[in-house]
Amino acid sequence: MAAAAGFDFRRWRLVLLGGLLVGIVLFAAIFAPWVAPYSPFDLDVTQMLQGPSAAHWLGTDELGRDVLSRAIYAARISMQVALLAVSVGLVGGTLIGMTAAYFGGLVEQALMRAMDLLFSFPAILLAVVLMASLGTSVLNAMIAIGIVFIPGFSRLARASTQAVLRQQYIEAARSIGMSDARIIFREILPNIMAPLMVEAAVAFAYAVLLESALSFLGLGAQPPDPSWGNMLSTGRGFMAQAPWLSIVPGMAMFICVLGFNLLGDGLRDVTDPHMRE
Amino acid sequence: MDIRSRALENGRPTLSVRDLTVDFPKRSGSFRAVDGVSLDVWPGEIVGVIGESGSGKTMTALSTLRMLPKRAVVSGSIELGQRRILDLSPAEMRKLRGDRLSFIPQDAMRALNPTMRIGRQVGEPLVLHRNLSFKAAVSRAVDLLRAVHVREPERRVEDYPHGFSGGMQQRAMIAMGLALEPELIIADEPTTALDVTVQAQVLKLLKEIRDREKTSILFITHDLGVVSELCDWVYVMYRGKVVEQGSVERIFTEPREDYTKMLLASTPTLFPREAS
Repeated sequence: MAAAAGFDFRRWRLVLLGGLLVGIVLFAAIFAPWVAPYSPFDLDVTQMLQGPSAAHWLGTDELGRDVLSRAIYAARISMQVALLAVSVGLVGGTLIGMTAAYFGGLVEQALMRAMDLLFSFPAILLAVVLMASLGTSVLNAMIAIGIVFIPGFSRLARASTQAVLRQQYIEAARSIGMSDARIIFREILPNIMAPLMVEAAVAFAYAVLLESALSFLGLGAQPPDPSWGNMLSTGRGFMAQAPWLSIVPGMAMFICVLGFNLLGDGLRDVTDPHMRE
Repeated sequence: MDIRSRALENGRPTLSVRDLTVDFPKRSGSFRAVDGVSLDVWPGEIVGVIGESGSGKTMTALSTLRMLPKRAVVSGSIELGQRRILDLSPAEMRKLRGDRLSFIPQDAMRALNPTMRIGRQVGEPLVLHRNLSFKAAVSRAVDLLRAVHVREPERRVEDYPHGFSGGMQQRAMIAMGLALEPELIIADEPTTALDVTVQAQVLKLLKEIRDREKTSILFITHDLGVVSELCDWVYVMYRGKVVEQGSVERIFTEPREDYTKMLLASTPTLFPREAS
C-alpha cells in the first residue's frame, strides 16, 4: 500500500516539521553539557542583566547566569517530566480504559465514573492539589501531571477498545481458546496503539506546559535548578529592563509545544485512514 | 448406505445437542432465539444447518462454543464426545476451544487480526494449547497452509492479512481451525463473503479435510446450493426450531414440511446444481 506508492512527502510534512522541532529540543536536552556554552549555575555578578552579546548570546539573568545555558538545561527537566508524566498517563489510562471496555458492566461503571471525577477538575487545579499533597519536587510534578493525563487516555483507550471488540477477530481469538489477558494485550492493544500514540504526542506538549505552569507557581523545579517555568517567573520581575529573561524561556516553550503538536497532528493524519485522500 | 446409518451402527455422535433453548431477556418477558433444538453430528459427517436470518442457526452454533452474549440464558444439554459443554468451567471451555472444537467464521478478512502476521495467527492454537514456541508454531503454520493449498506457504506466513485475497484468508482461517486436529469444526457461513468460484474451492477443501482427517463438520448456512454440494445430513431451522431433518438427497427430492418446500422453491435455479 504505502510502500508501493513510495515516500509521500506531502502526507508526512507535518510529522517531519514537528519531528525537526522536537528533535532540536531533545538534542539540547540530552546533550546539554556539551551544547550549553556555560554552566547553568555559574554566577557572575559583574555580568548581571546583560543584554545579548557575543559572550552571552541570549544575555544574562539577575545573578549573571547565562540565559541560553539555563534554557538548554531547562529542556532537560521539561523532557524528563513530560516523558515520565506521559508514560504514567499512557500506561495507567490505557490499562483502565481497556479493562473497562473489555469487562463492561459494573467494572466499567466504577472505573469510568472515577475517571469522570478526575476529569471534572481543571487540569492545573488538579495538578496543584496533587502537588500540595505530594510535596514539591520534580518527581512529584511528574506523577501529578501523569495522574492528570490518566482520564483522557482512559477514555480514548476505552472508546478504541470498544470499536476493536466489535471486530470478528476478537471472536475468532476467543474461538481458539485465548484467555482474556492475552486477548487484551495481544489482540486489542496493537490495534489501538495508533490513536494512543497521537494522543501521547499531544499530551507531551501539554505536559511541558503544565510543568512550566507548576514551576512558575513554584511547585515544580526548585531554584537554582533551571526550568522554563521558573525562568519565566523570574523574568516577570524584570520585564522592562531585561525582556530577554521572559522571551527566551517563552520561545523555548513555544518551539517545544509547537513541535509536539505538529507531530501529533501529523501522526493523526498519517495513521487515520479517513484523512487519506 | 449413507454415513449416518453406518455411524449409527457403531458408537456415539461427535456432537449431540438435546433440547437446546436460548433466551434473551428483554424489558418485558424474553425473546427465545433457539427453541428446543436437538441435533447430532456423527464422526466424519458434514451436517448442514440451514435457515433464514434469525432462525437461530448461528445461536445454536455459538451455544456449542459457549460464545453467546453474556445475557443469553441457555438450557438443555450439549455433549462433545463425553464432555457436557454447558457444565464446563470457563477455563475448561477455553482449553476445549481451538483444540477439540474449532470455529471458522463468516468473514475471514475481519476474523484475522490486521496487526499480526499470518503465520503467527495460524500457529496461535499450537502456542495456546500445546505450549509451542512461536517459532515452532510458525513452522507448523507453513505445513498447515500447504495442506489448505496456499501457494508458497514459506513466504506467505510472513504476510499480513491484508496481503491475502479473500479466498486465501478463508483458507488461512481453515488452516487455523485444523491446527490441532479437532473433533468438530463449526463453520458459520464460511463462504458467504466469497465469490462463487472461490466458494467452490473452499467447499472442496472442506470435503477433502473431512475425507482426510475424518473431522466432523457442522456447517451453518442459508445457501441451499452449498448444502447440496457439501452436506451429508441437513437440519432445516425456522424461528428457533428444527422443522425438518434428513439426508441431503431426501430433503432435496422429497421435502415433507411446507417450510422446506418453500425454501427449496425460493432458490432461483437455471440449471439444477450437480453434486461434485
